[in-house]
Amino acid sequence: MPRKVTRRTVLKTSAAAAFTTALIPSVSWGAPSINIGSLTPNTGGGGPFGPKITSAHKLVVDRVNAAGGILGGRHIALYQENSETNPEAAIRAARKLVDVNKVAGILGTWSSSVTLGIMPLCQEAGVIQMCTSSSADIPKKDTKGYVFDFQALSPRWGKAIGDLALRRGYKSFSIMALNNDFTGSMVDGFVKRVTADGAKIVNKPFYYNGGQASYRAEVAKLIKGNPQAVFIPSYVTDFTAVYKELFRAGYEGKVITVSISTGSKFKKAVGEAANGILHGLPVPPLESPAYKFYLKMRGMKDTGGVQHPFGTAGMDQMSVLLMAMEKAKSDNGPVVAKHIREVTNPGGESVYDVVEGLKLIRAGKDVNYTGASSDVDFDDEGMIKGRFFQLWEIKDGRDVSIERVQS
Amino acid sequence: MLDYFVSIATFVGIYMILALALNMQWGKTGMVNFGIAGFFGLGAYTSGLLTVDAGWPFIGGVVAAAAMGFVFGAGVSLLSVRLRDDFLAIVTLGFAEIVRLVLLNEDWLTRGPRGLPIDVRPLSGLFDRSTYGYFYLGLVALAVIVVLFVAEKLARAPYGRVMKAIREDDVVTETLGKNVLFYRVQVFAVGSMFMGVAGALYAHYVQNISPEHFVPMVAIFIWMSVIVGGAGNNWGLLIGAGLVMVILEGTRFMGDFVTFLDAEKLSAIRIILIGVLLILIVRFRPQGILPEPKFRGPGVLSS
Repeated sequence: MPRKVTRRTVLKTSAAAAFTTALIPSVSWGAPSINIGSLTPNTGGGGPFGPKITSAHKLVVDRVNAAGGILGGRHIALYQENSETNPEAAIRAARKLVDVNKVAGILGTWSSSVTLGIMPLCQEAGVIQMCTSSSADIPKKDTKGYVFDFQALSPRWGKAIGDLALRRGYKSFSIMALNNDFTGSMVDGFVKRVTADGAKIVNKPFYYNGGQASYRAEVAKLIKGNPQAVFIPSYVTDFTAVYKELFRAGYEGKVITVSISTGSKFKKAVGEAANGILHGLPVPPLESPAYKFYLKMRGMKDTGGVQHPFGTAGMDQMSVLLMAMEKAKSDNGPVVAKHIREVTNPGGESVYDVVEGLKLIRAGKDVNYTGASSDVDFDDEGMIKGRFFQLWEIKDGRDVSIERVQS
Repeated sequence: MLDYFVSIATFVGIYMILALALNMQWGKTGMVNFGIAGFFGLGAYTSGLLTVDAGWPFIGGVVAAAAMGFVFGAGVSLLSVRLRDDFLAIVTLGFAEIVRLVLLNEDWLTRGPRGLPIDVRPLSGLFDRSTYGYFYLGLVALAVIVVLFVAEKLARAPYGRVMKAIREDDVVTETLGKNVLFYRVQVFAVGSMFMGVAGALYAHYVQNISPEHFVPMVAIFIWMSVIVGGAGNNWGLLIGAGLVMVILEGTRFMGDFVTFLDAEKLSAIRIILIGVLLILIVRFRPQGILPEPKFRGPGVLSS
């Protein structure tokens, strides 16, 4: 039986409940603003990237609001949530964005499990999703055409890196990948690309689990038969441990991986041993005026190197959504989704500044948004078409650019 | 707005079932279970796979999830027959990790890291999106009532006094002729069964599950619910589960009002604030919001 329900406990609980309810109604009232949600990985595995996407979203919205908003002067209200890089937390955050803030779109999801996790809700509620997730399952599960992915899907990463590896003259490969949606599905693209050119896969590709203290058995299996090169799609935390084993085992072939694994943290951890590693990543078109515009907007210096690979996508997401709303003359998710390609795909005047683009659309002109992360052209499934991939080699502890391909 | 409350209430309901189950195992009987996420995930995947791949109806999936929870709960408690307290905690934590790794690696069955989309929902054709939220909330509420009823019945029956006796001193209980092992296995299995049911309800609600949903963080939330609400008191932990969710979700609305901090700082502050609030509750009300009622005997001893 419930005992000890004193006057105080009742008071405290009801005060807490009243406090939260009192907070909420004032959100949904107010001027008929246009509501947009941003759900970025500000903590957890995506922590290094999320805040840059968050602030890019905000910068674009502030610019447009300062220039008078969209759809005849309506103000844009941006609601920003943290996905914690965890689908369980992200679903609750998305519920708030959809059901309380009534957003037309949720932008900025990064991890595939988060993008896929909130997808049933968004599909049901008619909410546009713009993400930088690479799972090949994203287009399959988006049955209504509400999802627009600003990142190349993993198989394409694999294909591009495979392409770059072949051009370096390697003929036999061995592959192991972190068992995660992003890195796992990279393997297929890589294998397909290199075998098409007659290269040999020495050992059957396999997956390993993250968070292990040692990868001795996995590495032994990987380098059995002495392949000329090994491809290891991974995250930085596990790649450091894997590479240590490779080094200890005295492997002399080439090590190829993705650039997210070989950041400064990795180089610091392994020191000189890092020299010779090849790594690749989709990069912003560094010479493009859109990328330079992004740097200027943020007050950053152009170092000539790749900065903010995901922040640039954040600017593109928000710019595209706002321009598509103006084009559709609506802030209704499903309606706007149909007009996205009209502002991104070829045909029309090329723009990279959202304020400029909005002006042109209002003047009845066609526009083709060319972004800071890529040209931003979508195929029929809402996936990005062409992204540049760049290959680097680590020499003397620094990344030296080798080659860039479009894929 | 209301849709959001309905949705959050549904999550609270699922947390309540987990908390009631944990209370049965730990609060009443003293068996530490850190493997909540394991049983939760097991139930979710059992029901998800049976309905998606084998074409079972929703109710069949829930029953199967309960059965899986029961069987594995019994198994884990038997495995750790001679283990108590911290050792049992490690075994259950290990069990949860095994479940997560199996879900992650056995692609052929679970679809691995890509996650499992579940489109099967009970009576989904009958309602629109908003009304369906109420319907599902009703379903979860019904499950909470059933679990609460069973938990309360057990606690007040002589059975419940044996549970409590085992918690306080199992040697004395054994000496008094009770089969302690048998009770332990039963309680653990029944608690895990309810966790399996909670998993099934969760899976069909969110409709897309992946191993990342079932990380130890979930177990921590449930532990917080029980501790904050009052270990041993079923009613208290219902409030505890609600309060934990109010803290988790309420802090979200901070961002819509506080304008001097940007979103990236706020999201970090929110996580810190959740921690601070919980510490404050435990500091100023260590016995929980509703402490466990003291057992009063028939007065033989005192007279």
